[in-house]
Amino acid sequence: MKNYLAAIAATLLLVTACSPDKPENKEPEGIFPYPIQQTKLDNGLNVVTVPYNSPGLASFFIVVRAGSRNEIEEGKTGFAHFFEHVMFRGTEKFSKEQYSEALKAIGAAANANTWWDRTLYHMTGNANMLDKMFELESDRFMNLKYSEEDFKVEAGAVKGEYTKNNASPYSKLEEITYKTAFTEHTYSHTTMGFWEDIVDMPNQYEYSLEFFNRFYRPEYATVLVVGDVKQEEVNALAKKYFGEWQRGTYTQQIPVEPEQQETRLAHVKAENFPPVLTLNYKDPAFSVENTDMAVLDIIGTMAFSQKSDIYKKLVVDERKVRQLGAGGMNMVDPGLWSVNAILVNKEDMAYVKNEIDQVLNNLKTEPVDSVILKETKSNIKYSYAMGIDSPSSIANSLSEFIWLTGNPADVNKAYANYDKVTQEDIMRVAKKYFVDNHLTIATISSDDENQVKEELNIKL
Amino acid sequence: MKKLIYIFLALLSTTAFAQNVVELPMESTKVVVKIAFKNGSIADPVGKEGLTNLTASVLTESGSDRYTKSEIDDLIYPMAARYWSFTDKEMTTFTFEVHKDFLDKFYDIFSSLILNPSFAENDFNRVKSNAEVYVKEVIKANSDEELSKMALEEKLFAGTGYAHMKNGTIKGLANISREDVVNHYKSFFTKNNVMIGVAGDYPESFVAKLKADINKLPDTQPNIPKLGEVAMPDGIQVELVPKPNNLGAAIYTGYPISINRASDDWPAMLVVNSYLGEHRKSYSKLYQLIREKRSMNYGDYTYIEWYESGGRYQLPTTGFPRSQNYMAIWIRPVQTAISLKSQYPELGDLKVGHAHFALRMALHEIDRVKKEGLTKEEFDLTRQFLRSYMKLYIQTPERQLGFLMDSKFYGMDDYIAEMDKKLEALTLEQVNAAAAKYLQTDNMWITIITDKEEAGPLKESLLTNKKSPMTYSNIIKESLPAEVFELDKKVEVYPMNVKNVIIEEPSELFIE
Repeated sequence: MKNYLAAIAATLLLVTACSPDKPENKEPEGIFPYPIQQTKLDNGLNVVTVPYNSPGLASFFIVVRAGSRNEIEEGKTGFAHFFEHVMFRGTEKFSKEQYSEALKAIGAAANANTWWDRTLYHMTGNANMLDKMFELESDRFMNLKYSEEDFKVEAGAVKGEYTKNNASPYSKLEEITYKTAFTEHTYSHTTMGFWEDIVDMPNQYEYSLEFFNRFYRPEYATVLVVGDVKQEEVNALAKKYFGEWQRGTYTQQIPVEPEQQETRLAHVKAENFPPVLTLNYKDPAFSVENTDMAVLDIIGTMAFSQKSDIYKKLVVDERKVRQLGAGGMNMVDPGLWSVNAILVNKEDMAYVKNEIDQVLNNLKTEPVDSVILKETKSNIKYSYAMGIDSPSSIANSLSEFIWLTGNPADVNKAYANYDKVTQEDIMRVAKKYFVDNHLTIATISSDDENQVKEELNIKL
Repeated sequence: MKKLIYIFLALLSTTAFAQNVVELPMESTKVVVKIAFKNGSIADPVGKEGLTNLTASVLTESGSDRYTKSEIDDLIYPMAARYWSFTDKEMTTFTFEVHKDFLDKFYDIFSSLILNPSFAENDFNRVKSNAEVYVKEVIKANSDEELSKMALEEKLFAGTGYAHMKNGTIKGLANISREDVVNHYKSFFTKNNVMIGVAGDYPESFVAKLKADINKLPDTQPNIPKLGEVAMPDGIQVELVPKPNNLGAAIYTGYPISINRASDDWPAMLVVNSYLGEHRKSYSKLYQLIREKRSMNYGDYTYIEWYESGGRYQLPTTGFPRSQNYMAIWIRPVQTAISLKSQYPELGDLKVGHAHFALRMALHEIDRVKKEGLTKEEFDLTRQFLRSYMKLYIQTPERQLGFLMDSKFYGMDDYIAEMDKKLEALTLEQVNAAAAKYLQTDNMWITIITDKEEAGPLKESLLTNKKSPMTYSNIIKESLPAEVFELDKKVEVYPMNVKNVIIEEPSELFIE
């Protein structure tokens, strides 16, 4: 009882303590429960503040809207990721050793990662260190300076990263799936890049300068701060440290993927490893205006979840499949929506494919149960609400919309789209996207590719 | 003001020792419940290795006396509630997370699962088959790094209850029946070895109900076997695991140390370890020497306790308190000879890639720190880093709760808060005395997952202490400063006390 009263008292105190932090007219509308405060600097840099009750703690993110998607030149795959590494190699003001020491002194969890559509730099630490975080980050984003020698040496670390991932048959499957499904668009290579391009990286110093010049510019970047901070403070720091950052001039044309005209097969031969079957259909680019991706998310959650009939049949009752799931990633350009199954026996591959086909075909012609549709919307909403419980998880969630559309507040529109999805939408979208000619079947088994082709009885 | 409230909230975390309960009420959208049992894979009977983990896994993958697995899936679907089990050497934890809107509804399912699990035959067979394929195939093929760690523990803890993977052995799993799982649950998941943890936005009435229900668990006194003495190896004992066409050599080393989180020397060793090889941090010594200056791999770290899923997490998780620790070095895959030869014609004659040199570099540096210790500046900076960084371990309600519960295992109230105080009081002398006492390079186990063609030559190189010059490609060589080559000259002949090297095929691992 004592604890209960104390908890209520503490909660009331917290509310009182927090309320002055919330600027008026910035109350959230939609699923995201905190205010999203945005300011655009004169140079085009978007600065986003999300005050959140995490005493003494703040996350500082910089989202650069360039990733492996932007690697349009021949022989340069993996460069966005490599460049993320180079960003830790120092400036005139801070050598790489001084940068390391300064970072250590902040005592933050700091790192970076690269994805198809973006590169993300993040730090979570003491909110009192925000000034120092801004100073360090702005310096390298505006004044990165590294020697050709340092550049060459860093290339080995990327090779080490490739080597550690490459041991996994799943990594090999991902690489070959995208390489097969895309022929023109840059999604044909993973963020890691092709091995031969990674080996050649030490020779690309001049290109790296060009890369920095193109993308490490305010119009490609967004600064996002979440936690025990105030908008005025964040804006003042952004102006102080990023105000002089010069806009760039680079624009590019990403190759458009021609419409796929036939089913394709990608295969990884692996002995002594559970067989895998994945069906990968072309899906739409993410958009808050077009709800097709939201419909596909609902299908992925609903049709292959643990609640679904196919899951209960193949995984629980028949035990032919060890794991089953489906979904697509939100991407700037059209990507892949996949059904993935890890099998018990490779002999069941054709059977499992047939079962999946039936589910996808039924979605085209039979309206889904309205209760299940409602429950799926609830599942998606509560999954999101439960996932945002720290400054870094909130910043991660918003950063996705920053790289997809440029506007973090689109999180609310994106989730509102799920509410709009009807039974008719599901039939329409299933007919539109689950088309054999847009399908890439990717498999892992101990067989050669030809045997898989025969077994699945697919015409390629 | 906010900080005061934070302290106030932290004080609310109370422990009733009669029934081990950790309560952490806080403003949150969800409620997290952890039910932790002091058992772990050490409680697996001989010949049924993997039983504790399998029991916990089947519980979460099966139904109860009131609901089948499918019914549970249906019920929790709209709530997006989730639950999972995690077993380590000495603890099994069930974690349940639900949005506060559904707490009562979900608790109904959760309590029936914990108190009256059905362990349905069909679910048992399914989960057991998944465990078997993991031990037999997945662990050996999916990540050389995880494989090197599991293989090392098998050697380092040989003859003790820590030796086998928590997932089990091939023979052990084959021997386990559904009845074994049912009986193991009754004997080792009881009211006498349980700890309850609750965090988030919940009413007090919820805790009362939870406590009363957990009290209904069997009253059996679990008979947990003693760990037994973990012997220091005689010299350096190496295990090579060859795989065809492996581009990398994944290296992991370890020797037992006598301290844990509650030991007096622990804060000092936190500093030593962080300075040498903080997990996933670029400013530690091994990382700088091996990755940053020489471009040999993706990262290099040291540990004074187990780090769960280190390849995945940058901050530590919870639920793996251990009474026996070991000092470990994790050298992420370095290039093997076949990889280097395929890239650079100038390295065409190579028989051994970078593994031997990387190991020598790591041991040479550890030896240096043992002898020289840290400077005052290095100590101050590392301590400053740790005092800030460790607070980031507990950013979410789930982690905060997990760290508090793990604290109890070590007889502590709040590990994170106590370390902050102890680090504040720490002196350079204490740190360097700890480095001198616990660091050593003469005796340890080393496991290397490597390329098939390289295993033989690497064995010979290690056994004969053969000079292992670092082989840079021409393009890297011309970029390196003289200081790198100067140190390389010393390191390439650094003597390693290798007493034995064995080559074991992946198929020979984790059998019994």
